Amino acid sequence: MENLIEELKSKIIAGFSLEGVSPSDIQTDEPLFGVGLGLDSIDALELVAILEQDYGIIIQERQVADKAFASVQALAEFVAANRKPCSSESQS
Amino acid sequence: MLQRIPVITGTGIISAAGCGIGRVWESISTGQSGLGPLTLFSSPRYAHHPVGQVREDVDALAGRVRGSRSDKLAWIAAREALAAAGLESGPDALNPERMGVMLGCTVGGMLSTEQVLTCLLRGLKRRFGPLRFHECAGGTDLCARKLGALGPCATVSTACSAGAMAILAAAELIEQGEADLMLAGGTDSLSRLTLNGFGSLLLLDPEGCRPFDARRAGISLGEGAAMLVLEAEESARARGAPVLARLAGWGASCDAFHATAPHPEGRGACAAIQSAFERGSIQPADIDYVSAHGTGTPDNDAMEIRALKQIFGDRLPPVASAQRFFGHTLAASGAIKAVLAVQSLREQAVPGTPGFEVADDKLGLEPVKEFRAQSVSRILSNSFGFGGNNVALVFAVPVISNPKSQIPNPSQSLLASAATKRGFAILGVGAVSAAGNSLAEIATAFRNGGAVASWFDVPAASPPGKARVYACGAFGAEQFIEPAKRRKLSRIQQMVLVAARKSFNCAAAAVAPEKICVAIGTGLGSLNDTAAFVENMILKEERAPRPIFFTSSVHNSLAAQIAIELNFPGLNSTPVQREISFETALWQGATELASGRAELALVGAADELNQYHLAAGMRWGWWRESSPEIQPFAGALKNRERPLPGEGGVVVTLGRAENAVSPLAFVSAIRIGRSENQNAGAEARWILRTLERDGIAAGDVDLLLTGANGSAKLDDFYRAVAGALSRLAGRNIACGAYKHACGEHHSAPVFGFLTAVGLVRGEIAPGFCTVDKTVLPGACRTVVLFTFSTTGTKGMCCIRA
Repeated sequence: MENLIEELKSKIIAGFSLEGVSPSDIQTDEPLFGVGLGLDSIDALELVAILEQDYGIIIQERQVADKAFASVQALAEFVAANRKPCSSESQS
Repeated sequence: MLQRIPVITGTGIISAAGCGIGRVWESISTGQSGLGPLTLFSSPRYAHHPVGQVREDVDALAGRVRGSRSDKLAWIAAREALAAAGLESGPDALNPERMGVMLGCTVGGMLSTEQVLTCLLRGLKRRFGPLRFHECAGGTDLCARKLGALGPCATVSTACSAGAMAILAAAELIEQGEADLMLAGGTDSLSRLTLNGFGSLLLLDPEGCRPFDARRAGISLGEGAAMLVLEAEESARARGAPVLARLAGWGASCDAFHATAPHPEGRGACAAIQSAFERGSIQPADIDYVSAHGTGTPDNDAMEIRALKQIFGDRLPPVASAQRFFGHTLAASGAIKAVLAVQSLREQAVPGTPGFEVADDKLGLEPVKEFRAQSVSRILSNSFGFGGNNVALVFAVPVISNPKSQIPNPSQSLLASAATKRGFAILGVGAVSAAGNSLAEIATAFRNGGAVASWFDVPAASPPGKARVYACGAFGAEQFIEPAKRRKLSRIQQMVLVAARKSFNCAAAAVAPEKICVAIGTGLGSLNDTAAFVENMILKEERAPRPIFFTSSVHNSLAAQIAIELNFPGLNSTPVQREISFETALWQGATELASGRAELALVGAADELNQYHLAAGMRWGWWRESSPEIQPFAGALKNRERPLPGEGGVVVTLGRAENAVSPLAFVSAIRIGRSENQNAGAEARWILRTLERDGIAAGDVDLLLTGANGSAKLDDFYRAVAGALSRLAGRNIACGAYKHACGEHHSAPVFGFLTAVGLVRGEIAPGFCTVDKTVLPGACRTVVLFTFSTTGTKGMCCIRA
């Protein structure tokens, strides 16, 4: 789980081009969107695309996304529970 | 008080709920939703979502016309509206110069553009032909040609409020005396881009849209077109046309909040409704029925009801949303609602809200559920779009007119009389161009013979190659936009935002934000982000669609971004009329200033280079690696060759002349129109009449600054216009050009505007813009900027020291 949390933090930083932000700047148990990092609802939807691209998880309802994105911890748990095996397609 | 009341003398509609108002009204009165399976194209990801697809054979219904599906839908609806208004056999009773067309369109020819890109990306046979019908202006051009309209003809693209914005703009033209009759409405076809785009935002309800329902989960996408014939009341009565209803009030605003999400308290929605009420001297208690935007997204419906409760307090009139009959038809939506409002007023019956079953306690609203007879005299119709572009329209039953009222002739135009003799003050300019990013840099480029063309990689070309282009260099995005914001903006959004900040900083005026409006034209919009979204969609077969590219793909993301970043909640508009996109934006900004609704107007235009656009041009023989740089009046271009393409963005801050502090220059004689053919004498007379309208003597004009670009036929035409104007003015008026400094693109005329400012300020010597040195003016004090587009629409303004 720790590895996954670090991986997700790196993906968030790279995916959102967060200049000058390091993984340790992202609190594991704080909300991802709305406060702190200055990420908004479109970033949340971009994260939906990242999860589909890299973990094969398809989110089609906003409530699911809202719950999964409550914090990096919640996100890691969501990814661990829903990821499809061998679905990393980031180079496709 | 309204000076001239626009009335509706005809309506037309085609939609999933039927073709023609009779059929549509039958669907509505019997509660038959038009939603059904998607068969127009295949969509692996969203095939199970019901859509509002037009089931008729659109090509057959449109008859022998060429254009995109959106264009054809527009013409089908327009034909019905014109026939209803008694104009089917040609407008004998009306002067064509007093008739215009104003349409809203967002998707344009995207449906066929997607097919071109699909073939291209899959390595199939390359056919670029359908790209000719990509532009949103196609429907306007088609309808204008069919109607023979020679007055103002333009297109606006404010996403889902575009149809209502077009009706608003048409009403302004009638009220200010620029036109007597306007065909106004909106059109959009279904496309994979919009289906995947709304899907990427998680805004598609798989059950079909359920407005105001507690379980609502988004929109259903639809398509269609709707048109009004909007006419000055006096004109309608004079020719004995049936007056179906009147447009009693109209207002626009911008949330200035977020690219896609509405302001949660409905700030912008309230402002638009209040503005419409103020415009028509309407009290909330006068409204009998609200035709809500009511898309069925959780946020829109919550915001809209909050806004309505702020406006109406505890006396909320009946509210309904007819969205499930049609699906969300984007730019057509506001126009479809307008047609329904007119029909409701005629029939004294109102549509219900199909899809609504379970009341949402959080909304505290029970909408009108089913079609019912109801006495209605005034209907409020709301339209909201991405970027917070809001429009509110109020339709009312016709009233007995005051027989004393007369049609003011064009010389009494509100635009002219509201401007002082000097016109509008140019308070600031900001530019991003191939010739530089300031007037000083651009003046240097002119001294050196223009901008320098560079090479642009075009991997999409066959074989992959390079194109010579006039590309913008670095433009200081890092300096003007903070990193957290910059990362989410496309390059063209950044270009426009930098230009806007520079322009506004020069103006440095203390004005209440709600008195600041924004109108930024664009020919083709955010081409690169649009292409990125479509590439992703095709190559990954609709997996993991990227919302960021969708939200910036809408044309109005440029103007909306300025409003969001600089907090300007006034009218926010995006004209998309090929080469006169800027002139249309200029007219719209000036209209807001003339009326007093705005104290400052940021107007401008921008376009960007894109490899698919270049690849198509290379295929068609427009550009080759050996193409020469642009030399206006040199006649160097042969056969199919076209001038080298360019890009850039310019924003101008305008204020009213009477309270201007240290203005750079003044602008007046702002006008848009259309011609059937290139007749230099007729254009010179049109320019002369427009100058006279605003009290400018033609003899004062030093230079006619034109879009001359090295194509012999066009350059000869512009030179002939200058010659004819010289004869009318009784003095030599030189013919000038600017495209050698910015390249050929739809937003080039705004660069011409900037050039004119440099000329009248003495920063650019006229010799660098003219070729005919024998009639070179000593100094330029008065410059007329004149643009004649490839489809005959035209625009002008006069810039004076």
